[in-house]
Amino acid sequence: MFLSGYTQKDREFRQKLAIGAIRLVAGGFLAVLAILVIYLAYQGLGAISWEFLSQFPRDSMTAGGIWPAILGTFWLAVGAMVVAIPLGFGTAIYLAEYARPGPLLTAIRLGVNNLAGVPSVVFGLYGLAIFVGFLGFGRSLLSGALTLGVLTLPTVTAAAEEALRQTPASFREAALALGANRWQAIRQVILPAALPGMLTGAILALGRAAGETAPIIFTASAALTLSAPESAFSEVMALPTHIFNLATNGTHIAATRPQQFGTCLTLIVLVLGLSLIAIITRARLRKGKKW
Amino acid sequence: MVDEGPIISVKNVDFYYGSFQALKNISLDMRAKEVTALIGPSGCGKSTFLKLLNRMNDFVPGARLSGEILVSGQSIYGPDSDPVSIRRLVGMVFQRPNPFPKSIYDNICYGPRLVGTRKKADLDLVVEKALRAAALWDDVKDKLGKSALDLSGGQQQRVCIARALALSPEILLMDEPTSALDPIATAKVEEWIQESGMSIVIVTHNMQQAGRVSDHTAFFYMGELIEFGATMDIFTRPREERTENYITGRFG
Repeated sequence: MFLSGYTQKDREFRQKLAIGAIRLVAGGFLAVLAILVIYLAYQGLGAISWEFLSQFPRDSMTAGGIWPAILGTFWLAVGAMVVAIPLGFGTAIYLAEYARPGPLLTAIRLGVNNLAGVPSVVFGLYGLAIFVGFLGFGRSLLSGALTLGVLTLPTVTAAAEEALRQTPASFREAALALGANRWQAIRQVILPAALPGMLTGAILALGRAAGETAPIIFTASAALTLSAPESAFSEVMALPTHIFNLATNGTHIAATRPQQFGTCLTLIVLVLGLSLIAIITRARLRKGKKW
Repeated sequence: MVDEGPIISVKNVDFYYGSFQALKNISLDMRAKEVTALIGPSGCGKSTFLKLLNRMNDFVPGARLSGEILVSGQSIYGPDSDPVSIRRLVGMVFQRPNPFPKSIYDNICYGPRLVGTRKKADLDLVVEKALRAAALWDDVKDKLGKSALDLSGGQQQRVCIARALALSPEILLMDEPTSALDPIATAKVEEWIQESGMSIVIVTHNMQQAGRVSDHTAFFYMGELIEFGATMDIFTRPREERTENYITGRFG
């Protein structure tokens, strides 16, 4: 009261101003998001039908559906997670629990964070060189999933490490004091406590893997396949590349406009669906674990 | 029972964190079935000393010890001593209640399961015995499946005590076990300490607590053991001026 020149009224006004500004920004963001979703739904909903979701494209893609692309994106995203989650969680456990603090650890962490910012097209080229070419997997579901796995690895790793670090050190201490060795403490106490947070990174990565376009153009996708993917070595269609092809390469670009929006909508719903599964899993894991 | 000598015997222990010497030439013997309080101002080395007794300082990078510590006659820093089995022999309760985010039952079972107790009937028995010993059984017997984190702070700390007791340790180390608790919960834990009949080493900032619960008291100051003796003597007629200044509140 005596220290500041502001009256109580002044301070209350300033607080209102700040909270109002924050509300405005949050509201604006939500509005943009809502407009996007509504516009997509408005444009795309008309194209969605059972036929659209369950059939192959026909008549230069102006008719028929996107079933092989849905399947391709699903397997690519799941495959990417099969690659990224074990590697990412393993790396995170090493970084958070075993690595000694020092220049090396700092360098590794810096590297991981920088990798997360590398443009996806670079990963695409990398995948083309290593998985498609050098390892001889060809343009295939496998190459695409591996590339997307490597692409999302930094996100998964960084989020998982953060979650592990946020687990109270007292849990580890308690386990060790009860005669657990380090691995037992990690596996039985720290991992279960950190898992919900670790999954958050995986959820983000899953959405990214499903939506990435450039890497799979290089490594996995075909404009059109005549059958559903038969094995990990099949070329696949995918939703993002399908949108790209419809909108840029088709012979009847204008005629496929509804399909383009329909595919966008499908992609978003698919990503949301996959995320929802992960979010529900996380919520179940989190039960009774707030500290 | 024949007197088997001290349960903990510390001989000329120096302890370093890197180049910092945290403890200087500490020697003392603690007797079984007694409560020993470690007192002294913050940073005096009392918590460091406590953690030497179950080798919890092993995890601190750059930690180094010279001298010898015997628990039940066995050197715990000897070449063939096993820190894991030492920690089962010497249990520990921490400053803040730190139950695992698991059920009360699973918290208590954590230690026994580590040593291979798997049968439900055996575990049930251990859980009841440990919770009774920690004076918590009547409070929680109907909700053993509930998360330990739903309990009050005082109850959580007693879950931690029960969790340590479930391994039937010979010694229990307590690192300011009531500093995060309210007065009523504190009183319950203190009462438990007095009635447990166990060999307990307790670090405390609270002089009255040391006076109430302990048989012997060790006063640490700047890494040195200044005075060690019967609690009654330390508090009524300390030999060292620094001890007197500390317990009368002139510093610390």
